[in-house]
Amino acid sequence: MRRTTIPFGPQHPVLPEPLVLDLILMDEKVVDAVPTIGYIHRGLEMMVERVEYTEMGFVVERICGICSFMHGMGYCVSLESIMNVEVPERAAWLRLIWAEISRIQSHLLWLGLGADAFGFENLFMHCWRMREQILDIFEKTTGGRIIHSVNRIGGVKRDISDSELDAILVQLQTLGAAFKETARVFGTDPSIAHRLGGVGILSKVDALAVDAVGPMARASGLRTDTRLIGANYYDRIEFEPVVETAGDCLARVVVRMREIDASIDIVRQAIDKMPKGEGLPLENRPRGNPLGEVFTRLEQPRGEVLYYVKANGTKNLERFRARTPTFANIPAMIKLVKGCDLADVPNIILTIDPCISCTER
Amino acid sequence: MDATAFLARVEDYHKDGWRLALINVTTVMPVVAAHGAAAAAPTAVPAVPAAPAPAVPAESAEAATPPTPAEAPGVFEIAWAFAKDGKFETIREQIVAGDAVPSVSEFFGAAFLYENEIRELFGINVVGIVVDLKGQLYQTATKVPFSHAAIKARLAAVAAAAVKPS
Repeated sequence: MRRTTIPFGPQHPVLPEPLVLDLILMDEKVVDAVPTIGYIHRGLEMMVERVEYTEMGFVVERICGICSFMHGMGYCVSLESIMNVEVPERAAWLRLIWAEISRIQSHLLWLGLGADAFGFENLFMHCWRMREQILDIFEKTTGGRIIHSVNRIGGVKRDISDSELDAILVQLQTLGAAFKETARVFGTDPSIAHRLGGVGILSKVDALAVDAVGPMARASGLRTDTRLIGANYYDRIEFEPVVETAGDCLARVVVRMREIDASIDIVRQAIDKMPKGEGLPLENRPRGNPLGEVFTRLEQPRGEVLYYVKANGTKNLERFRARTPTFANIPAMIKLVKGCDLADVPNIILTIDPCISCTER
Repeated sequence: MDATAFLARVEDYHKDGWRLALINVTTVMPVVAAHGAAAAAPTAVPAVPAAPAPAVPAESAEAATPPTPAEAPGVFEIAWAFAKDGKFETIREQIVAGDAVPSVSEFFGAAFLYENEIRELFGINVVGIVVDLKGQLYQTATKVPFSHAAIKARLAAVAAAAVKPS
């Protein structure tokens, strides 16, 4: 039988971003997949040569429009640990709240895209309508819907008043209750179960072997979550990572749906535990130039993100490297795509929640 | 670097159930005293004094003067980072540009992506990658954007742009 090579992407109806994959087919079965990244490579890591470390945080935020808050946070946390800056307590709690809200936002966005990919236009619209409410919260509290720029090295730029925090919590809990109806459709609809159930199974052993991260690994039964290491005040929160065992496309959907509830609960705990009052300190400004290096790990909506920052005592960093969760999940994706039917490729690719902007930086 | 000893350490991490979190490369460049100011001055100090200096041939007439950073072959710092639960460890190596680096992809399947990346972006000669993408992973305007020569050219361009207005 002849082998056929089919280019999947950069333009494809299910792809929100230009992933490029050369699929090598035997009949309808995929036998190999060769990724090419670089279609939207912007060389942001290279910009440390020109952009001073104080401004680089705003560049880092622009790595990706969905996890922009956590990219900014990761950069600031890295510089803070190099420069030995203590973040004021309220600022650290605010970061945690924003981070969890952005996780809800990202999961809703992805669920919508996933629904669109398997042909449920209506679910797509419901998910994105709810996501819009989260973006409104961001706009109200940070001034920006997508790019927030509230993180500074040493703290955060803006406060959220206590009454506003309570209102946000009520809004999130209302959204969580309303989401239950959407989640019921995802969980019980027979056509969704037919399209996603049993498709693209990543076993626990394979998930370990390909070093999968985030919801991808948790859907395969691995209890892995960078929040468990307790950095950035997560040690003061009681939570258990959402783990599913089936490892198929449906399990990856279910993990993300359950994480929305988990994140709302984390926000509730954070608002409960944070110091209350007006005019609390939000920022400890660092002095001088950074010198040293650090690896920082955070749990982004898509999984573990890793930053390596090396500073040499000048205004410009020597090296900034972001290893984003999608980059870590590409080997898993290639593993899943091999051996599947061509018609299942779009769903498998989407369920890793690929963020190509993040991957290509 | 000692490839056998290095691979033995990597194998230990693999057997203990660690996850490969990142392979990071830093192009070690000479530190210029102040950003923008006198950037073009050739009085640069080598950033890493421990850089393995190439053996200077004894018969060379210039043997008395140590090679300036511009002439010495560039140095790369490579870190293999491993994660297991809350723990995080790295193996660090310094290599001279052109040196061969053994692939760890036989132990950690996901390593092929990092290794193809550092080969294309840094020009590091990684040998034995299980999935060899043959330079197809990135399509960049500069062929090897993080090589010493490419970074030097960009820094010089930044410095030249900084002095232009005066």
